[in-house]
Amino acid sequence: MSEPIDRGTAIAVIGAGSSGLPAAKNLREYGFEVDVLEREDDLGGNWNFGKPNSRVYRSTHMISSKPFTQYPDFPMPDGFPDYPHHAQVLEYFRRYARHFGLHEVIEFGTSVERVEPVPLAGGSGADESPRWDVTVTKDGRTETRRYAGVVVANGHNWFPKTPSYPGQEDFAGEIIHSADYKDPGVLRGRRVLVVGAGNTGCDIAVEGAQHAEHTYHSTRRGYWYNQKYVFGKPADQVSDVFFGLNLPTRFIQWAFEKTVRMTVGDFARHGLKEPDHRMLETHPIVNQTLLYYVGHGEITPVDDIEHFERDRVVLTDGRAVEVDLVVFCTGYLIRFPFLDEDVIGMQDGRPELYRHVFHPVHDNLFVIGLIQPDSGQFKLVHWQTVAVARYLALKDRDPVRAREFREQVRRHVHERSLGGIEMVDSTRHLVEVEHVDYLRALARLINEDLSPRDVLTTAGAAR
Amino acid sequence: MTRPTTRLEQPEPVLTPIEWSFPAPPVERELLEVLPEQPTGKPPILFVHGLSHGAWCWREHWMPAAAADGWRTYAVSLRGHGASAGREHLDRTLLRHYVHDVLQAITELPEPPVLVGHSMGGLVVQHVLERYAARAGVLVAPASAFHGLGSLGLLLRHRPRQVLRALAGRTLELDRELLFSDDLDEATAQRYVDRLGPEGALVQHQLVLPRRPRPSKAPVLVIGAGDDRMVPVIDVVRTARHYGTRAHVFRGMAHDMMLEPDWKAPLELVLRWLEDTVGRDR
Repeated sequence: MSEPIDRGTAIAVIGAGSSGLPAAKNLREYGFEVDVLEREDDLGGNWNFGKPNSRVYRSTHMISSKPFTQYPDFPMPDGFPDYPHHAQVLEYFRRYARHFGLHEVIEFGTSVERVEPVPLAGGSGADESPRWDVTVTKDGRTETRRYAGVVVANGHNWFPKTPSYPGQEDFAGEIIHSADYKDPGVLRGRRVLVVGAGNTGCDIAVEGAQHAEHTYHSTRRGYWYNQKYVFGKPADQVSDVFFGLNLPTRFIQWAFEKTVRMTVGDFARHGLKEPDHRMLETHPIVNQTLLYYVGHGEITPVDDIEHFERDRVVLTDGRAVEVDLVVFCTGYLIRFPFLDEDVIGMQDGRPELYRHVFHPVHDNLFVIGLIQPDSGQFKLVHWQTVAVARYLALKDRDPVRAREFREQVRRHVHERSLGGIEMVDSTRHLVEVEHVDYLRALARLINEDLSPRDVLTTAGAAR
Repeated sequence: MTRPTTRLEQPEPVLTPIEWSFPAPPVERELLEVLPEQPTGKPPILFVHGLSHGAWCWREHWMPAAAADGWRTYAVSLRGHGASAGREHLDRTLLRHYVHDVLQAITELPEPPVLVGHSMGGLVVQHVLERYAARAGVLVAPASAFHGLGSLGLLLRHRPRQVLRALAGRTLELDRELLFSDDLDEATAQRYVDRLGPEGALVQHQLVLPRRPRPSKAPVLVIGAGDDRMVPVIDVVRTARHYGTRAHVFRGMAHDMMLEPDWKAPLELVLRWLEDTVGRDR
């Protein structure tokens, strides 16, 4: 293979979606040169409905309201509703990219095939970071480029996690994963079994109620179904008053459970399972209409699947349902097809990263957006990318302090930001963060740990 | 593009829980624009007006003159001002809602702008510069970066009854002596005063309170008027010092520098500074 193209001090950003865009913008704001490598012919990633790797469906709306979702320095337009539609989110990304001139640095149709560290020359100092060879395919041609750093922003909701049950291959009906669910046309006139009570599973169950002949909704456990509006306001704007006041977690759980009990009522009366865990211990489900359709008999909540037969599905409680279509809304797995597992450091299904961003070994390899917050994603990702930009800038400005930070990354790599909540054990929660706790941690990184020492001491003296 | 050496020294506003739980209510805003005949590579300029004013005050002289010099100029009317909606909610409006209005106007521009704020608008711009990396900020006779006691003192001396009315929740009524010098002819001054609108009572109170905006993400220019009866010159000087720069004070001018007969002098300084700071391509 030919010599790699030397990109000097430039940083490669993999992906031009909700994470890659702010990564490029903030790195440039801190003075770094950036190449954004995007496989598709357009930006938006998961939010670009209809693209091969997009996983939104025709009706997808935001789960968190605008103030929690938007990038803090580029608010969503006042004309958007509280919970924007995916087409508006894509429009928002377009405005963001145009405003910050990101089209200058995004290379569309550029698929990253391989990312690997360049071996260091022998006898180099322990502080030296490797450069990175990034092999891309563009217009059918393959080339390798050498970068000073890599920001991975390839998303984590695209590789379907598909369960397998006995007898599944003999089932006469159709089985799809929600990754391939685009609109309710596929449900029309059929008896549908929706598996999983994530936000997608609940959305699709509701669409089943509206379009299918009948819908069964299979869940492994009982969940807390949150409303999108409480007390006339988007629910997250109300609940964050509790988080913002720093009240004890136990009290918040009690208050939220009470609110749900008073508005939704007794779960069992609806035929739903009782939650087997406290509020906040699973990723929040926000769906105002699921219970409405359960109450109208359009959705029948059922147990977990036990096995498949030719024309029916047998459940763990021994009952069986006759269905034509099964939709697995069973989530996604974390994959980095272009990185060796031992380079990225995969452990139990996720890479081991400090604050979900910083790699314990390679200090110029970053992962952005690999979080599942109980709130809006983009705002958190914005601050992740600011932390990355500040670390890279700190390396130039105050190398001693940067080395201290690397030590901190190595020592505290296992710390999580869950606000003291014990999450239910599931792949669903591999990268879960509680947003206030996580933002506090990022604020500490950005404004203290990643500030040069002279700045901190003068600020301290002024105080 | 050169690497700004100061970015690492700026604390970032990561935690803003009040804005998450109590976001600014959405409104329709007036955004005026005056564009140059020929497109140039210069960044856009967004003007932000002060107490009781509206985008119209920039449309009079500064926007057309800057556009003739090749700048794309825009001016936003804050909620409840000019032709923007929200007048009926002015009594519940807060300064941070104005900050939201400016950020919303910014997102409608094709690229990051220069922000120019006058008086209260100068304080709003200071708050925007804490969190948004504008190309530059220009503060024109700005409300102080520290507190509004200086302005309160001036007003108490010259218009004690007006201050009492404002404390009681009424709009501080601005008149020609407060805003303009004697050089401005009566008819024009009256025309401007007639265009002034109501102001939010809570905002008027907030303007007196102590504050200290974080350092700006952009270079800042501060100019003041020598005969200002709204913002004392010493406050302008202190605000400039807060941003590590020196104030340029125009003798003989009154508070509404962009409407004064001598409006060209400060604008020329502003445009010359902008030309040097951001006029060239990155």
